[in-house]
Amino acid sequence: MITGKGRQKIRPPRRPLIGSGDGEFDAMWDILREALKEIHEKNASKLSFEQLYRASYKIVLKKQGDKLYDKVKEFEEQWFGQEVMTAIGSLITPNLVNITLGVVAGTTANERRLLGEAFLTGLRSSWQDHITVMNMTTDVLMYMDRVYCADNRKASIFTTSMGLFREHILRSTFGKATENSGLTTFDILNSVILDQIGMEREGDVINRNLIRSNIYMLEGLYESDEETENEKLYLTVFEIEFLKASRNFYQKECQTLLRESDASSWLRQTKKRLIEEEDRCQTTISNMTAPKIARVVEEEMVSSHLTEFLAMEGSGITAMIENDRYEDLTMLYQLISRVDPTKDPLKVALQARVMELGGDINKNISNADLSIVPATEEGEAADAEKSKAPKQTQQGKQTAAAIKWVDEVLQLKDKFDTMWRNCLDEDLILQTALTRSFSDFINLFQRCSEYVSLFIDDNLKRGIKGKTEAEVDVVLDKATTLIRYIQDKDMFERYYKKHLARRLLHGKSESADVEKQMITRMKQEIGNAFTTKLEGMFKDMSMSEELTSGYRTHIRNLGDMDTKVVDLTINVLTTNHWPMESMGGANARDEGGRHNCTWPSEINTLQESFKAFYLKERNGRMLTWLGFLGNADIRCIFPKIPGKDGVLGRERRHEISVPTYGMVILLLFNDLAKGDSLSFEEIQERTNIPTQDLSRQLHSLAVHPKCKVLTKEPANKDQPKAGDKFSFNEKFTSKAVKIKAPVISGSINKVEGEDERKVTEERNDEHRGNVIDTVIVRIMKSRKELTHQLLFSEVITQLAQRFKPDLGMMKRRTESLIEREYLERVEETSAPTYRYLA
Amino acid sequence: MASSSQSQAPSKYVTLISSDGFEFVVLREAACISGAIKRMLDPNSGFLESTTGRCQLAEIKYVLLHHTPKIFKYAHRRQYIYKMAEQGGIVLEKVAEYFYYNYRNRNREDVPDMEIPPELCLELLMAADFLDSEPRLV
Repeated sequence: MITGKGRQKIRPPRRPLIGSGDGEFDAMWDILREALKEIHEKNASKLSFEQLYRASYKIVLKKQGDKLYDKVKEFEEQWFGQEVMTAIGSLITPNLVNITLGVVAGTTANERRLLGEAFLTGLRSSWQDHITVMNMTTDVLMYMDRVYCADNRKASIFTTSMGLFREHILRSTFGKATENSGLTTFDILNSVILDQIGMEREGDVINRNLIRSNIYMLEGLYESDEETENEKLYLTVFEIEFLKASRNFYQKECQTLLRESDASSWLRQTKKRLIEEEDRCQTTISNMTAPKIARVVEEEMVSSHLTEFLAMEGSGITAMIENDRYEDLTMLYQLISRVDPTKDPLKVALQARVMELGGDINKNISNADLSIVPATEEGEAADAEKSKAPKQTQQGKQTAAAIKWVDEVLQLKDKFDTMWRNCLDEDLILQTALTRSFSDFINLFQRCSEYVSLFIDDNLKRGIKGKTEAEVDVVLDKATTLIRYIQDKDMFERYYKKHLARRLLHGKSESADVEKQMITRMKQEIGNAFTTKLEGMFKDMSMSEELTSGYRTHIRNLGDMDTKVVDLTINVLTTNHWPMESMGGANARDEGGRHNCTWPSEINTLQESFKAFYLKERNGRMLTWLGFLGNADIRCIFPKIPGKDGVLGRERRHEISVPTYGMVILLLFNDLAKGDSLSFEEIQERTNIPTQDLSRQLHSLAVHPKCKVLTKEPANKDQPKAGDKFSFNEKFTSKAVKIKAPVISGSINKVEGEDERKVTEERNDEHRGNVIDTVIVRIMKSRKELTHQLLFSEVITQLAQRFKPDLGMMKRRTESLIEREYLERVEETSAPTYRYLA
Repeated sequence: MASSSQSQAPSKYVTLISSDGFEFVVLREAACISGAIKRMLDPNSGFLESTTGRCQLAEIKYVLLHHTPKIFKYAHRRQYIYKMAEQGGIVLEKVAEYFYYNYRNRNREDVPDMEIPPELCLELLMAADFLDSEPRLV
């Protein structure tokens, strides 16, 4: 009889049995009652299921199901009262009651455990018996369940009997057993289980299975006969108590740890407890509790005293970072991630630590600077006595300090990076926080742009020598990281340009390839606008190379070989791309008029010839000759000195490499009669070299022992100044044929002095002023009218890539733009507003 | 006869006995389609039937009709003991046939309906109610 889909269920006809009567019911019930008794006494093998089933079937068919139902219920109640409760009651000793009430006097843990276990075993076996018996009873009474209970919407006999068990066993009070009325089996059960769990937490071994079975019982029972999922007795009776007790326990434990232990053991203990509780939920109590108890542990052990533990002297987060306790940090991170997805406490602590360590680095360098600066001044003052050498090392020291600063910052960065990778699970939130702190402390250090550029300079000049490509990459990576942190990108650009210019013009760069790589990286990191000028510099250099060889071919083709040929190598620099001022042009500017040096006639011819060649193809350009850059190799002949033996007795030829200005000066002495001298003023008049540059050149030619081709009168080691006289030093000797005139300051890259720095900053501010002007005008042109506030915030966003504009400066620039009638103030508005004047 | 109480593992076959003494040996698994029989034979409960493997179904009557019983084609022929009677055993036989029909088609779809002689309908319906093996979708 298989019904097809959608067909209605067929109900069988209920056969009206004739001769219904109480007599027949009683007979049937007698059979059933006897059978039930047998079943309860575990004696069912003699019973015929069919007979019993048929009996209940008949009763139900006779519409006496309600009677049967009640009778069974009554029977169960009686059974509980007479048999089960007596068994359990005997297990509940006064001692057990005392434990429940919290009066533990006179019982040891072991006694308590044994008592508890006996009780749990008793309860377990009565529960298991009950389940078996009720399963059988339900089977026998299946027809009643199916027909009577379903028709009358009554809970099945099984559910009812579960309810009976709950009411009569678990909820029964023991008023008569002790004086403490109101105590139920539940209370005792809870307290026994909690007591056992407590013992396990203290390290004892307990019978987990036993507890588990009792927990199963609670999971199988419900508050009411509706059996809704969230009304399990486990949830309503046990779990609440369990969580409460656990909370108390962990509160106390955390307090103890806080008082007696350090952060490291706190971390370990907490982790251990979390694992234990997880395990407990698996093996002893219910899995349903796992998230809840984890929450309790997290709250009590982690959240509540987190800051106190982090701040612990000698083991808190400071110490963990200091001593690279990666294991601790990993645990800490895991715990904090559990309680707080934003990881704020850890973030704050890490940031504070970065700022602190970074601050230390900054402070150390500043101190070093301070100790060096006076020394330098002293050195300059007492220049007469001291040679140049110590001063060089002073400067060298400062540069080394700059590089040391960068190295330390990089080390710190490395340290935190390793930590982040190893312990912090490469957490993005923390990475951002760390980056911000790094950027903060780096920018707190005013010379960061200069130092970073110096660091790159140093590496490109020397550092990368003999390194593999991969190693070079690492260096470049580090440099890029640092650049990323720098806020005032324009400052950095200024320094980088300056340092790069020197490297290129003096041929100091180790590898053009690496230079280009660095530029590419900066382009990616900061953007095209930043690198166009730098790239322009490279372009100029390669153009110049072509020009030089082109010019040489041109000269050769002329066949004009009559004059003494001066071999010219030329660099044509595009004015915009190169930082003229910081390359040494500043001195010329200061002295307005002396812009052009007076070139000797040989050089002049050469210049004209090149100019003609250059302008042939490039009409309308202007060439300016920069004497303060460039070098010249001069061949010098020192005559033999009569009456002298040895070296002086011979004619000596030397090739001297001097800066262009040096050459101009030396050429003056060609025309001079033997023994004549030139005064400082005369030289200046005839060459038109700026005073400062002249003084420097003369110093290296007439004072410095390495290349003393001139003699100075008076013959001391003072900086040459107006009034001094110079003559050709015939007695000059040197072991080397080729001599390089000592490089005077200005052509090597080093840390700027205070004055230089001030100048650089002024220049930078000036530049910034212009940039701000442009940005304001650009914005106003498109917007026409804008409030003060909006305008400023717009300006700040647009400039964020390059630098952080100063508010005062922005105000000044706006004022000046109003004066120059680019803008006007709009009257009659609540907020100050500007209008663009076309 | 097919099962014995001695063996530990329950026998694969059980015997159903009609009120007038007809015996049908059927696969235990097939018979357990009936809720009542299933419980009756549940070894955990340990009722008499579960130890003997014989189910006296006093409630299921025979019906006297002039029918020639068909050969029970679904049963395992060797195990199938068929007390041949001129007339009778039809209800329980149909029940057993249903058990097998159900068992055989337990995992199939689009199974053709079982043939039920109209004159047996009422009796079979009552038997199904008693045995808790009311028709359901296969």
